[in-house]
Amino acid sequence: MATTRRQMIRSLAGSGLLLPGLLSELMASESAAPDPLAPRPTHFAPKAKRVIFLFMTGGVSHIDTFDPKPVLDARHDTRRRERQYYKGSGWKYSRYGQSGIEVSDLFPKIGSMIDDICVIRSMTNINGDHFGATIGVHTGSATFNRPSIGSWVSYGLGTENANLPAFMVISPGLPYAGGQVWGSDFLPAVHQGTRVIPGPEPIANMLRRAPTAEFQRTELDMLSYFNQQHLRGRGNDSQLSARIKSFETAAGMQMAAPDVFDLRKESKSTLDSYGLDPDDTSGFAWQCLVARRMVERGVRFVELIDGDSSVDNNWDAHAELTKYDKLAKNVDGAIAALIQDLKQRGMFDDTLLVFTTEFGRSPYVQNPGTNGRGHHARVFSTWLAGAGIRGGMVYGSSDELGDRVAENEVSVHDLQATILHLLGMDHERLTYRHAGRDFRLTDVHGHVVPNILS
Amino acid sequence: MVKQHNLHAQYRIVWLIVTVRLVVVSYSGSARKRCQNLAFFCHAKYEMHGSHYVPTPHATLIIMKLRTAILSPVCGILLARFLTLLVLVGSPWPTAAQASENDEFFESRVRPLLAKRCYECHRRRAEGGLRLDSLKRIKEGGQSGPAIVVGDADKSLLWQAVSGNHNDIEMPPDSPLKANEIKVLKQWISDGAYWPAPKPSARATPDFHGITDEERSFWSFQPIGDPVPPHVDGPWGQHPIDAFIATGHKQRGLTAAALVEPGNLVRRLSYDLTGLPPTPDEIVAFEHASSRDPEAAYTELVERLLASRHYGERWAQHWLDLVRYADTAGDASDFPIPEAHKYRNYVIDALNNDKPYDQFVREQLAGDLMPAESEAETWERMIATGYIAISRRIGVSPQSQRHITIEDTLNNVGKTFLGLSVGCARCHDHKFDPIPTADYYALYGIFESTVYPHPGDEKKPYRKDFVYRIGKKASDVKLGPYREQLDTWRKEERTAFERYRAFQTMPINIPGYNREVAWRELTEIRDGLRQVARTFPKLETAFAVGEGNVGDSHIQEQGDPKSRGPVVRRGFLQVLGGQTIADDSEQSGRFELANWIADENNPLTARVIANRLWHHHFGRGLVASTSDFGVRGDRPTHPQLLDFLARYLIDSGWSLKQLHRLIVSSRTYRQSSADLPASAASDPDNHFLWRVNRRRLDAEQLRDSMLVFSDQLDRSVGQAHAFPHRLTYFYRQHEPFIGDFQNHRRTIYLFRQRIRKNRFLDLFDGPDGNLHLGARYVTTTPLQSLYFMNSPFIEEQSRAIANRLLASNDTFDDRVGWAYRQLFGRDPSPAEISALENHLSHASRAATVSDGKDGTAEQLAWTGMIRAMLCSNEFLFVD
Repeated sequence: MATTRRQMIRSLAGSGLLLPGLLSELMASESAAPDPLAPRPTHFAPKAKRVIFLFMTGGVSHIDTFDPKPVLDARHDTRRRERQYYKGSGWKYSRYGQSGIEVSDLFPKIGSMIDDICVIRSMTNINGDHFGATIGVHTGSATFNRPSIGSWVSYGLGTENANLPAFMVISPGLPYAGGQVWGSDFLPAVHQGTRVIPGPEPIANMLRRAPTAEFQRTELDMLSYFNQQHLRGRGNDSQLSARIKSFETAAGMQMAAPDVFDLRKESKSTLDSYGLDPDDTSGFAWQCLVARRMVERGVRFVELIDGDSSVDNNWDAHAELTKYDKLAKNVDGAIAALIQDLKQRGMFDDTLLVFTTEFGRSPYVQNPGTNGRGHHARVFSTWLAGAGIRGGMVYGSSDELGDRVAENEVSVHDLQATILHLLGMDHERLTYRHAGRDFRLTDVHGHVVPNILS
Repeated sequence: MVKQHNLHAQYRIVWLIVTVRLVVVSYSGSARKRCQNLAFFCHAKYEMHGSHYVPTPHATLIIMKLRTAILSPVCGILLARFLTLLVLVGSPWPTAAQASENDEFFESRVRPLLAKRCYECHRRRAEGGLRLDSLKRIKEGGQSGPAIVVGDADKSLLWQAVSGNHNDIEMPPDSPLKANEIKVLKQWISDGAYWPAPKPSARATPDFHGITDEERSFWSFQPIGDPVPPHVDGPWGQHPIDAFIATGHKQRGLTAAALVEPGNLVRRLSYDLTGLPPTPDEIVAFEHASSRDPEAAYTELVERLLASRHYGERWAQHWLDLVRYADTAGDASDFPIPEAHKYRNYVIDALNNDKPYDQFVREQLAGDLMPAESEAETWERMIATGYIAISRRIGVSPQSQRHITIEDTLNNVGKTFLGLSVGCARCHDHKFDPIPTADYYALYGIFESTVYPHPGDEKKPYRKDFVYRIGKKASDVKLGPYREQLDTWRKEERTAFERYRAFQTMPINIPGYNREVAWRELTEIRDGLRQVARTFPKLETAFAVGEGNVGDSHIQEQGDPKSRGPVVRRGFLQVLGGQTIADDSEQSGRFELANWIADENNPLTARVIANRLWHHHFGRGLVASTSDFGVRGDRPTHPQLLDFLARYLIDSGWSLKQLHRLIVSSRTYRQSSADLPASAASDPDNHFLWRVNRRRLDAEQLRDSMLVFSDQLDRSVGQAHAFPHRLTYFYRQHEPFIGDFQNHRRTIYLFRQRIRKNRFLDLFDGPDGNLHLGARYVTTTPLQSLYFMNSPFIEEQSRAIANRLLASNDTFDDRVGWAYRQLFGRDPSPAEISALENHLSHASRAATVSDGKDGTAEQLAWTGMIRAMLCSNEFLFVD
């Protein structure tokens, strides 16, 4: 009886008569096994249902992007002290929108959306190396492995669509600290980020290996036969039924996943707005559009990583600031298009966008004329937009040189606490017992930043 | 109050009895000998296991019963006298007989009362600013003023608050004290508020005044007992473990499962002891032998599996999970450690040779400082200290973050050997367990006095302080000339590297010279350096530790190495004895630490490892939190059994194999996994083992099994991975080391990298080399199922297994039978054969539509069936 029902559901799904999300719900009703990814209630009413986390690897210079420093510019190339010279920005700033917030010419398209964006000019990180700072932003710890923020969100909220993982990371390359960036560490592995790599099989093993679909069906029928035989006398074991269900979900995923990546289903105008050829998976626009398709399908936390650990391919610029033109062009239009797209679909109000990096860059150089900047974790810029965020505002500031926080410091823990808050979770209550202690994302730190909330 | 002389008379009788018992016991020497003597006395059976004579479980039970029988009249008297004493004194544990009345009254009435009713809020939490854990603090009082006026209870806030005689304050807030408790406090204050002098503590700090009796009385810090298995009638009374377990069943009204049938038993035991499935021949042979003499057949099977080299390969992985083993350092550039595998193989060999566990512990902590009988033994013990050497390196410049690496060591030592989270005490006194910060730095000094080898990092890419087998002096002589040559190249390399890096800090405008040119020059120099490196004589090295600048360490306030507090003498945790290094010692203290941990009187070491063995045999420890025996950990479900196992381990000369024998020979272990609704209703999570838990194959068992089925398993011992030459590492965070070494050896031999996860292990809840893993999660995810359905590895293995099936069987029935026996460990029923005939004809038809490049329709159909079998629960679960 159950088999018949499953077969029926599967054939309905196969013919596209059922929505992907519905499939797992129908299947789920047959199994009593506790599902670690089942949707979980929030601590309080959430503003955001999902997050798109835009992470720029390498350390984006705040001085050259979102934090204009005329005083610094005026002192450009003059000596501050022994082996330290001021370095002004090589990019002009313009005012955008009704709010008139200044954004550098690197990001004109993001600038044009500034009235929807809250720029934080007083971010700080806990470590000044790529490795420590990258895991600092993601996990709250600069030294030991801890679960990534996406894993915490998956653990806290579960998923709305069992056919897709709750936490997906579109990362063409490996960032600093590698897979630790999306690791679940002591949280159950089901909460770790699933890495998506642009290419023919973006999620590992998502494509059918059996020679034909018909053949795969016979395989699954055999599997079902073996499992039914095995279940005799073992009917009360929830691990067995959970695993049977996981194959049904996997079959659903095999069906649902290619659809996520099939950009040919997008309208020409959408593709044009992202400036995207549907077969071109190489740029950030592909990452952005795929992210939109993921959140549309109920993925909780989508992280887009720009760049990898090689200097030529990220925002680390000790002497190579000229590459910023190319790097910014890759993400600027894509991110603006993503915001527009979410707005058009009515998803902007319950989707939180976070644009961040591991640290900023120094206002000083050792030698005049150097076209680059050192690491600078004691102040940098980050922006948020969408669900629950007051657009068109600047929060916090750096001093006139962009060297230190002038007012309203926002630490990485504060940022994390605020993201969880928008998702309806109290960062002090989202805990996990490990090694005799209740761990949380923000460790013993973190305050929600109330002023940026709408 | 009892008259003093009366009390003394009672004591005298008790001591007399105790002494008699001690004489009886010590007569036969060590505990182990004592068992043997008693057992020979009653002609109990002994068996030869390796070089040790050890009692069979049955004999052990006889011994235990004998002891009960011999001692019971004595015990009876002792107990009766003791109970009398209790009634007379009214204290659970009288202090020394000479103790003053004051002391007695305080320790028996006042302190327990304060602890039970006040300390939750008025000790570390100091609510209202008031602490009641020292007279000084009580007199100082809190926000409402001094808590007592000595000698005058009526004027004392404390008494007013508890007796309802204060206008504003009523304590305790939820439930008032009983009348006699209030009287106790009144008497105590009126009599002068006697408070005994605190026990001397070498490591007092402003916030810490010694460990309290309450803390010391926690179960896991009590000496390991020597419990006698309870008397049980029938088949559950034949084995000491069963006697404990059956008593638990009886108390809870649980019905236990029947014995498992031989086919399942051999599958269970093979996976459990060796991590590999039994071959069909082995299953048949065992079933056959069992039908004649089940006990003999089983004993033979246990012995065969324990003697197999694959036993060590299985159980070493459990150990490597604990010590977060990896082949790379874990820093931002993840420098490779080609020598790490020697430590891994040491663990495998140690388990296979049944190295006594206390020695195994000592060697890993201080093998370099232990005397050895041969050069080979010296070297083996040196390699053993790889345990400390593989501590995690962190960040871009791990050498400047030494305190983090040492924290990783201390964290691991605490959890792995003692089941305590010592690392919590780095920044503050442990919030739950009695581990003050001072204790952390007492241990810290030991490892700060130790030299950790430097695997290289971005800032200092050249390896340092690795240990040469021929010794430092001899290696210096031998390598001297080569090093001189290499040093010239290294200097040039560093200079060229700085030239290249200069582009990051200054504008360089030299025609024809740019970053690419500088990189090319650097590359050429590195190539030259590689040539020189290859000429180096191949001397044997180990990733091991040595003695460094020996000295005590400062407390680092709030865990900040720059904020130095008082110096703490190197030593051990106070709650476990608080021993310190001798004043005249010139060593780091690792040798002493190793002995403190491996001491049979350490209440944790034997319990923790016995519990780990239990955990791996049953899927759940008697203490479920296998690496946390502290206040926040789980309490043992069977405390007596746990002590029995720990004591048994010590008495068997710390032989782990002996403990395996004891456990797997029990009926408890040999139960079936059948579902019994009545038992399930009262103990749904099977904490009391009314059946055996059905368990999923873990990552290693899964991969190794498939390689066995396809006959592709390379059973050789894993050696070094094909790393680049050890003198040619120039990794940076921008160009980290990425290794990709494949083999078909057992999974324990797969390459483990710290910053890049092994996708397969990661997917199936395996270790990641960064985190101590006392117990693995068992997660079920659709991504795992996708792996089964679609991964190239499963595809490749299914095909290889199908080809084997086709090559070795001609008829349909034989083929299905072969597959069932290999993968499921049983014969198919006729109904199953005919059902599969149907399925396979469907599959063949479906396969004919494909283009044929993947093989014939027949091959494809059988491949499909094998894949479905590999996906199935029957393969993945062990009953």
